[in-house]
Amino acid sequence: MHEASLMLSRAQFAMTAIFHILWPILTISLSAFVMLMEALWLRRGEVIYYHHVRYWSKLLILNFAVGVVSGIPMEFQFGTNWAGFSRFTGQFIGNILGFEGAMAFMLEAGFIGVMLWGWGKVPRKVHLFATAMVALGSTISAFWIMVANSWMQTPAGIAVENGKVVVTSYVDAIFNPAMAFGVSHMWLAAMETGLVVVIGISAWHLYRRRHAPFFARSFKIALITLAVVAPLQVLIGDASGVEVFERQPAKGAAIEGHWETNAPGTAANWSLLAWPNKQEQRNDWSLELPGMLSILATHDVHGKVTGMRDIPLEDQPPALPLLYYAFRVMAGIGFFLAALAVWTAWGLKRARGRLEALLAQRKLLLAWVLCIPLPYIAVECGWIVREVGRQPWSVYGLLRTRDAASSVAAGAIWSSSAMFIAFYIVLFIAFFTFARKWLRNGPQFEEPNHA
Amino acid sequence: MHEILTNAWFGLMCLMLVFYVITDGFDLGVGILSLFSREEKERDQIFLSIGHVWDANETWLVVLGGAMFGAFPAAYAALMEQLYVPVMALIASLIARGAAIEFRHAAGRRRGWDIVFGIGSLGAAACQGVILGRVITGLEPGGLSFGFTALCALGVIAGYALLGATYLIKKTHDELVVASRRHTVISLLLAFGAATVLTAMSMQFPEIGHDRWMQPGVFPLLAALAGLAAFAGAYVLYSLHIQSSQGPFRGAILLFLASFLGLGVSIFPDLVPGKLSLAQAASDSATMAFMLCGIAVVFPVMIGYNLYQYHVFRGRVDLSH
Repeated sequence: MHEASLMLSRAQFAMTAIFHILWPILTISLSAFVMLMEALWLRRGEVIYYHHVRYWSKLLILNFAVGVVSGIPMEFQFGTNWAGFSRFTGQFIGNILGFEGAMAFMLEAGFIGVMLWGWGKVPRKVHLFATAMVALGSTISAFWIMVANSWMQTPAGIAVENGKVVVTSYVDAIFNPAMAFGVSHMWLAAMETGLVVVIGISAWHLYRRRHAPFFARSFKIALITLAVVAPLQVLIGDASGVEVFERQPAKGAAIEGHWETNAPGTAANWSLLAWPNKQEQRNDWSLELPGMLSILATHDVHGKVTGMRDIPLEDQPPALPLLYYAFRVMAGIGFFLAALAVWTAWGLKRARGRLEALLAQRKLLLAWVLCIPLPYIAVECGWIVREVGRQPWSVYGLLRTRDAASSVAAGAIWSSSAMFIAFYIVLFIAFFTFARKWLRNGPQFEEPNHA
Repeated sequence: MHEILTNAWFGLMCLMLVFYVITDGFDLGVGILSLFSREEKERDQIFLSIGHVWDANETWLVVLGGAMFGAFPAAYAALMEQLYVPVMALIASLIARGAAIEFRHAAGRRRGWDIVFGIGSLGAAACQGVILGRVITGLEPGGLSFGFTALCALGVIAGYALLGATYLIKKTHDELVVASRRHTVISLLLAFGAATVLTAMSMQFPEIGHDRWMQPGVFPLLAALAGLAAFAGAYVLYSLHIQSSQGPFRGAILLFLASFLGLGVSIFPDLVPGKLSLAQAASDSATMAFMLCGIAVVFPVMIGYNLYQYHVFRGRVDLSH
């Protein structure tokens, strides 16, 4: 019975997390974008920025609502489905999640009311402050969640006493080895998501030549920001990869289909494409570039890259092909978005930002519309790499996932999973119905209220 | 030192619970009462009165969950695991009502979302009552605990409806105020009835009725709190009688404060009577101290901007929207 409950709890956690993360990544970035627009409005006094604030806020609130409600199960399923994990890590993870609730969720929730309903009731500067607090709250939330998750990847600053984690140094535990890259990689991924959504939706209107001057403004601002953020993300992603190979060799070997540790003085080969086979402990086939992996994984020509065969079978992650390809999809999208953003920004610069030149690039505009799902896919793949790649551990090297689960009857988990699936379908349909309505209605050009 | 920290965290969690129960209590109650409103214009007022605060109110529950996870991890794990079904049902209700209130603003036809919101609110109140009942009865099976738990659910629904009705008295207009006065009386009677029977039944649970209540000083304190609750109930009726707009809500809050103080006194020093004591469930001093430092800094700030939000949207709802 325990085995069935364990698998169901894992499936339920994967499902709730995969669904939930879709929304906060847009909340984090879109609230920052709205804040930028509102700040520009106050600074430059051009009403177009106010209209942008109102326009994008409508998408933000729809997205925020689904993010809030889909986040509720996340907070409580650590206890309901993962009581073993909660008992073992509570003294650190519980503390961090408590901080998240008090510092981040409350900040968002406390100011979202003023942001949405406070027009004309509070002075403009106070309204901008409320918007900034919503943006800050969502970023603080990402910060604490990534602190907690990074600690699960590279636990530090603790001792294990009587079967539970005791914090010996909060500084070491919070600033654990994976934390800096974890926080920045995730935050930049969220930024990319919002920017691609703004660019894509603006491109859609430009493609249809509706409100062209209005959407050219958001297109350009978001695009120029993305042309900086996306290449930066490639660099951070690369550095984060080096860190994974150093601290979590099993995950590193899995995402690159790497089986044999290279001998000292030689370089490890890199497979561009392959099909890893865990049973046979080798790749069924592979397309290899000699010597490349040492450079990619360690930034050193002869750097040692541990192969999967040197890792005990019971410590190897499952679903190797999934990890291998999830990593490639994530990295591929990262490179592609960076290249497309830089290329488009270069084209804009050459055309000196003329609207007609932008409108003439029909295929490019359409390409950006089609890019909207890409950052979402990349984020999901990245999380699959991070979480499945950590298996069979819940807390790397300290707590196995099978020891982390609650002893709840499989039937109860089945029912709650079915309930979540039903909710997710309804939430998806409702969100897209209202988002479509929002997209069709276009911006409203009302005069700002005075407070 | 460890004991002081443990008690401090118990006190802080009680405070968070009180904030949650009073603030989300009134918007859950408003949701329950919205089921009785047949006119969409009237429901627009109802939703307008809580639209800006429900999210922050509900967040107290998430904060409370996080605090418990950090300060009393063993209790968090045990309660969530053993109360799997009511907790999941609570989550489902909260998802349903949260989505419904936000989507109703975007929807053309609102009736469906309004019903979802009302039922979600009712379900959330009932689940919280069940969780409360299961905790007080020490998670024991049996007919007596089942009856106690069911009555707890009814009591919580009636109590939240009381908070909701008194809140609507001060936030809405005209006929809705009249209807809310009537709802106040009905829910007050139901809540008092449930509370009286629940108190009598508590005598049957040895951990509470015998062990805790018979300790020196406890019974007089509880009697004083019961007196305070009776006074609060009378004050609600009196302020209804003099047509006060703020009085009934204040009376209802006082009633909740007295009841929850009584609950806290009855359970202390356990978290689940007879099953799990605070001391058994508590984190190390280091964790509790570190967390206390963090929370102590943000707690006043949290209260500050929550109050600011209530201040911005003070007064009766603006019908021109």
